[in-house]
Amino acid sequence: MPSLILAETLAAWPTVLGHTLATLGTVLWGFAASVVISLPLAMLIAASPAISAALTPLLVVTQSIPKVALAPILIVALGANELPRIIVTFLVAFFPLVVGTVSGLLATPPELIELGRACRAGRIQELTRIRLPFAIPFVFAGLKVAAALAVVGAVVAEFVGADAGLGYLIQTSMAFFRTPLAFGAVVILALMGILLFQAVAIAERLLFPWSSGVDTPNPGI
Amino acid sequence: MIRLDRVSKRFGEMEALRDVTLTVAPGEFVAIVGASGCGKSTLLRLVAGLLPATAGHVVLDGRPVTEPRADTAMVFQAATLLPWADVLRNVTFPLRLMRRAGRETEARARALLATAGLAGFEHRRPRELSGGMQQRVAICRALLQEPRVLLMDEPFGALDALTREEMSLELLRIWQGREMAVLFVTHSIPEAVLLADRVVVMSPRPGRVAEIIPVKLPRPRSFDQEGSAEFQAAAQRIRGLIYGERVRAA
Repeated sequence: MPSLILAETLAAWPTVLGHTLATLGTVLWGFAASVVISLPLAMLIAASPAISAALTPLLVVTQSIPKVALAPILIVALGANELPRIIVTFLVAFFPLVVGTVSGLLATPPELIELGRACRAGRIQELTRIRLPFAIPFVFAGLKVAAALAVVGAVVAEFVGADAGLGYLIQTSMAFFRTPLAFGAVVILALMGILLFQAVAIAERLLFPWSSGVDTPNPGI
Repeated sequence: MIRLDRVSKRFGEMEALRDVTLTVAPGEFVAIVGASGCGKSTLLRLVAGLLPATAGHVVLDGRPVTEPRADTAMVFQAATLLPWADVLRNVTFPLRLMRRAGRETEARARALLATAGLAGFEHRRPRELSGGMQQRVAICRALLQEPRVLLMDEPFGALDALTREEMSLELLRIWQGREMAVLFVTHSIPEAVLLADRVVVMSPRPGRVAEIIPVKLPRPRSFDQEGSAEFQAAAQRIRGLIYGERVRAA
């Protein structure tokens, strides 16, 4: 009943818009946190096998814990505010970004590294002038996955503890058997995911035009 | 100018080079040929300062080579261009990296690209160029450093036979105008004879200098000389050293 979904959603539009903006805020903050934390983390991991051996199991552990289980604990620990929701969003979204960036940094062809060394480049120069630019397509592959996952993360957090947001709207609507409205929220979430994904793709094309056509191991994402 | 004195290199259990002694005069063109795994590339990397020798000395201008030097440039088998930078920025990359880029760097790069037949391609990306053009860019990149020693590790190995012949003559033309010693690793015996003043023949496992063959063909060289008795004799001698008795038996 697409028409019913549309009608119900439009009828409640001011409320729906408020919830959408609340979710979008959580998504964007969580996504931003993923970027700010993942990139330096990936550089550390790529820089030394010892750091990689120490951090990688920890990262895998954070991925193995179901975020639905973690969310209520975080909310009790940190209080019913925006912070635990951003943390959950971050936890869901950051992993592919770290993995993508690390693979990019390590996939730099050894010849390019040797060229850098022959030109007397130090470790920092090697990272900033050769490895990081080379990793850009990989970083963006990770960013696209992270953008989509950030939406999932935000909704998971809102399901557990929130007084606003599309996840909250879905739960409350279902409690009152307002299924079309819940569906409407799902559609908005899907649109949000598509828009964020496209925004990342457009940013890549504008900022690094050479990147979008470069072959990466997972160009499908 | 380059002096290798009983140089050996081991990688763990594997002995790559044993007791290699070789001197290269300023401005001399020396080719290194040998079967795969005879340590040719390792030898270049020792001279480049990219690898330390296990024993012996690598000396450049009277000073031991301990790290890459600004007056040594290297050309690899693959063009190794930065995919994100255009041709001009690729050519100037080493100088920018070494903070030696000045005002005139870009003009010199453009002039160099023009002599390599790449005028008009300054702002193309590497993937828009053919393999031969990419390798020309890599050679321009090395020449822009105005090296006194140019190390070339099978620079034409990935090119088709026709482009390869064309590039070797071009390389000679560029080299002739400069005071630049060239160490040129190749698998191709005719290429080595055509280009070099001396051909170092190496034998494998561990890599050693089997013999150094002087090539007394007049310069400038051309493909016409391939038919000459001198050319054939040198090529035949190198073949004999590499394949041993197998050539004579066949």
